Amino acid sequence: MDTHKLIKISSITKKLLIGLFGAFLLVFLLFHMCANLLILLHDGGKAYGAFCHFMGSDFVKIFEIILFACFILHAVLAVWVWFLNKRNRPVGYHKPSRTKTAKGSKLAIVSGSLLLLCLVFHFYDFFFVKINFVEGTYMVKTEEFMNNSPTLEVSEEAQMVFLNLINDGKASDDMLWIRQISAEDKAVLQEAFPEAEFEPDFYTIAHQKFSVWHIVLCYLVFFFLVGLHIRHGFESAFQTFGLNHYKYSRLIEVLGIIYCWVICLGFAIVPIGVFFGL
Amino acid sequence: MNFTLHIWRQENAKAKGSFETYKVSDISPDCSFLEMLDILNEQLINDHIAHPVCFDNDCREGICGMCGLYINGRPHGNDDGVTTCQLHMRKFKDGDEIWIEPWRAKAFPVIRDLVVDRSAFDKIIQAGGYVSVTTGGVPDANAIPIPKRFADMAMDAAECIGCGACVAACKNASAMLFVGAKVSHLALLPQGQVEATERVKKMVCRMDELGFGSCTNTYACEAECPKQIKRQNIARLNREWICQIFGGNKRPE
Amino acid sequence: MNLDSKIPEGPLSEKWTNYKINQKLVNPANKRKLDIIVVGTGLAGASAAASLGALGFNVDIFCIQDSPRRAHSIAAQGGINAAKNYQNDGDSIERLFRDTIKGGDYRAREANVYRLAEVSGDIIDQCVAQGVPFARDYSGLLDNRSFGGAQVSRTFYARGQTGQQLLLGAYGALSREIERGSVRLHNRCEMEELVIIDGRARGIIVRNLVTGKLERYAAHAVVLATGGYGNVYFLSTNAMNSNGSAAWICHRKGAAFANPCYVQIHPTCIPVHGDYQSKLTLMSESLRNDGRIWVPKKKEDAEAIRAGKKKANDIPEKERDYYLERRYPAFGNLVPRDVASRAAKERCDAGYGVGPTGLAVFLDFADAIQRLGRKVVEQKYGNLFQMYQKITDENPYETPMMIYPAVHYTMGGLWVDYELQTTIPGLFAAGECNFSDHGANRLGASALMQGLADGYFVLPYTLQNYLADQITVGHIPTDTTEFDEAEQSVRQREERLMAIKGDKTVDHFHKALGKIMWEYVGMSRNEESLTKAATMIDELENEFWQHVQVPGDIESFNPEMEKALRLADYFELARLITADALHRKESCGGHFRTESQTEDGETLRNDENFMYVAAWEYQGHGKPETLHKEELNYEHIKIATRNYKN
Repeated sequence: MDTHKLIKISSITKKLLIGLFGAFLLVFLLFHMCANLLILLHDGGKAYGAFCHFMGSDFVKIFEIILFACFILHAVLAVWVWFLNKRNRPVGYHKPSRTKTAKGSKLAIVSGSLLLLCLVFHFYDFFFVKINFVEGTYMVKTEEFMNNSPTLEVSEEAQMVFLNLINDGKASDDMLWIRQISAEDKAVLQEAFPEAEFEPDFYTIAHQKFSVWHIVLCYLVFFFLVGLHIRHGFESAFQTFGLNHYKYSRLIEVLGIIYCWVICLGFAIVPIGVFFGL
Repeated sequence: MNFTLHIWRQENAKAKGSFETYKVSDISPDCSFLEMLDILNEQLINDHIAHPVCFDNDCREGICGMCGLYINGRPHGNDDGVTTCQLHMRKFKDGDEIWIEPWRAKAFPVIRDLVVDRSAFDKIIQAGGYVSVTTGGVPDANAIPIPKRFADMAMDAAECIGCGACVAACKNASAMLFVGAKVSHLALLPQGQVEATERVKKMVCRMDELGFGSCTNTYACEAECPKQIKRQNIARLNREWICQIFGGNKRPE
Repeated sequence: MNLDSKIPEGPLSEKWTNYKINQKLVNPANKRKLDIIVVGTGLAGASAAASLGALGFNVDIFCIQDSPRRAHSIAAQGGINAAKNYQNDGDSIERLFRDTIKGGDYRAREANVYRLAEVSGDIIDQCVAQGVPFARDYSGLLDNRSFGGAQVSRTFYARGQTGQQLLLGAYGALSREIERGSVRLHNRCEMEELVIIDGRARGIIVRNLVTGKLERYAAHAVVLATGGYGNVYFLSTNAMNSNGSAAWICHRKGAAFANPCYVQIHPTCIPVHGDYQSKLTLMSESLRNDGRIWVPKKKEDAEAIRAGKKKANDIPEKERDYYLERRYPAFGNLVPRDVASRAAKERCDAGYGVGPTGLAVFLDFADAIQRLGRKVVEQKYGNLFQMYQKITDENPYETPMMIYPAVHYTMGGLWVDYELQTTIPGLFAAGECNFSDHGANRLGASALMQGLADGYFVLPYTLQNYLADQITVGHIPTDTTEFDEAEQSVRQREERLMAIKGDKTVDHFHKALGKIMWEYVGMSRNEESLTKAATMIDELENEFWQHVQVPGDIESFNPEMEKALRLADYFELARLITADALHRKESCGGHFRTESQTEDGETLRNDENFMYVAAWEYQGHGKPETLHKEELNYEHIKIATRNYKN
């Protein structure tokens, strides 16, 4: 296939691809939201920690790559279409439009761009810790740590750190995880125990972040934008896939609203819950 | 009633246009919008003020699709389910300022003042918006029964008058509602289903070529369609397109 | 002038078959060598061009609008007749033929009408195959309605937009041929002159409406499908740009113009409400099925209503005059269009009219709403009621509608023979612009039938018969003196109009002409009114040529110039309508002479002296035209008086 033809994908196919990737992201959001709710369990981060550990496995990493690919393609295609569409009205109207339209769709490019910005901060808080881009709080499996621990040549510094962890109640034999290890502590311990696998302690990070009011507020704005974007996305996906029909367009609309609220509230309840200590 | 009109004036396709302001007075509220423009033109000619304002119009009963003005930010003005010729001055308030602009789209270049060239729509239809039968040699009209539901849905889509308000209203100047209406109309009837796959391919490709934008599901088209053609027709167009990609002629309704 | 109608031999029912068997054909390889010009893209023009293109001819088609789909056929509401007998109610070709002849008050040519009825069924088949979404019942089969002037249900319809759907079908077929390259579309072009070479129609000069430049097109035959001339009355149900100029141009060049005085006035239109009004809107004939027409019995009540002191609902039942039910007990509110229109005029003239102008009658649905319930009425007429409310801002569910007759259709037009050929060889006329099939009055739902019959099933045959001996001619060059002269005459005309630089607009004169025509050559005419009209038209025309102002330039997009060119022709046409009406000293169908009526005010035909088609020959500007008569010989049908009383 010559490149010219490849670039000239039909307008509908472009939309289909945006929709397809978007739909995958929609499903991911639901999954993400459900996982987040584990933070609210009063189990000292047991369940959430286990989940995060599972998320670190190689199997999940494949999905992670797909997810990122989807996200990037969704955004790139959307911006491309937006850019192309701008050229179809070289002379604009003097009077701004007063047509009643689906606001979500009109604002999709705006809410999408803002989301991208928010996502950078969100990544700074969480995902970048995972990929060791920024420092955070860490945890390590007690059992693994103990077994692997080379008993010899542990620096005094490391022993002190470890003792402090035990004294602070962050580590003990009967706990599955040694948690809330600060970045400096982790560095010391890692030196002493080169084979220990430290993981980010997202449970703790979440509690740290969500105890600051302005971060909570930022996240609420973020979720509002997510809601706005999927308010358009959900219904729109059905329309683009040709699944909208007189018989059930109302149903799709209602489902879209429900989905939007579920995602929005599901996400929002976590920072609020943590902040108010629910 | 008295009005201040700001009208887009442009001598020809190449000239640079601008808004000119005119005043009309003593307009009856029962007057239609185009009749108000007639009165203005009469005034412009009699008082040697300017060349009369050019605007397309023909049947003046909302069916030919010839008229189309962008009035105060809305195609066909501030009323639902009407064409410009069916808009009446009683919809305005005395002393209103009215901004009148032509349809704006790359595919609809201005010819003069408020007149635009919509032959792009004809070209889309020519690409395949028909059933390829020649005259004669067709089966009896009742040979193929068509469920009333389908016939009614086809008729809903077929009511499109090709005025271009959908393109004018769309922030992307997309013609998807126009194309969707024709594709739907024919895809819902057994006579049209034979060529459905080819039709949707040709019409959509032609639409893209002619410089119409892509649909972003904003539904401004639906809101401004004087015949109130529904967005579901665009969904059906998308459905037909997907079937076309996978090459099948087995299509859901 | 020789008016040979070329009716084929044989019994009526076999004439068309005989014609087709004996006609000459053009073989496929030769069709490519032949060019045809079609002017107009309505039902007749689009269907003819599509059919001819599909056969293999080179076709050039012209329309004045931006797209072929805008032609005014699109506005037809009610339906299309066809003798399918799907309802098993006794319909047949013969019956449709008889109804049409009777409806036309015995002033149509038998053979043409029979052929029309014969091909009517094929039209429906063709349209369904094109994907026209006709109304269907729950079995999935086609539904029918009944219309005025028939005792069977033979009208096929697509909601209230039958004309639109049929036109879009023909437009689709036309678009297909354009894509295939057999038809070339020229939009925003108006025919300004016919080019005749060696006695045959060989081309046209068009004004490109975007640039104002004149363009030349040559062909072996020219088909005119440019509709009627109802806009000579200024206010009519026709579209703003509908005009009679193309036909008139051909008339000037020698084509006979037949029966110009037969103009149909439709009884149910929304009344005129002001001087600024540009057009009248039709309310479908179907409304008369359930609506009752009345005016107040007392003049005082009518005056009170006119002054706005009383409302329709203030008039008690016994003070209302349901004049159609009173005068025509058998048919009541469902009398034919011409009868209903005249009755309304009679009441209004007598001072019983309502509305601010006194020129309106009530069409009341109160009874129907009481009997059927508002829901049923809404289902049946909802879109019409909504349309009425949009225009008048009155709710017809609560107050009665106001209606008044308006000019709707012109039965007269270019004289054509059985082949639809005018008196100029090579010039054909189809649809409303010819005179052929409706006699003195057209029945509802027959216009669509005629347009499509001409385009799909008549012209593709008869044109071949004409073109068969043209295959050796070769493409006709446009750089000949005939084309030069034709173009020059158009340019001169334009320059003459432009040079007047008067002080009155084109519309001013058009409105004045309309008023004269409506007042004196309208629903009822007499010697006095017609003579008066003739003088007034002459005076107005003189004033027009001295005082009209056409702004702008000739070579530019200039709607005022277009209107001026058309109006100049309307003056001549108006004169001919008046002359024709004056000479036809009888009443028939749409032509009502007050001198010729029965004791109770019904039309009175004079078969002895006027059983003919009046075909007029142009003699030069301002000169009286020469009358030629084509006698109508009714071999098949028995002539009777139309009776709608019992």
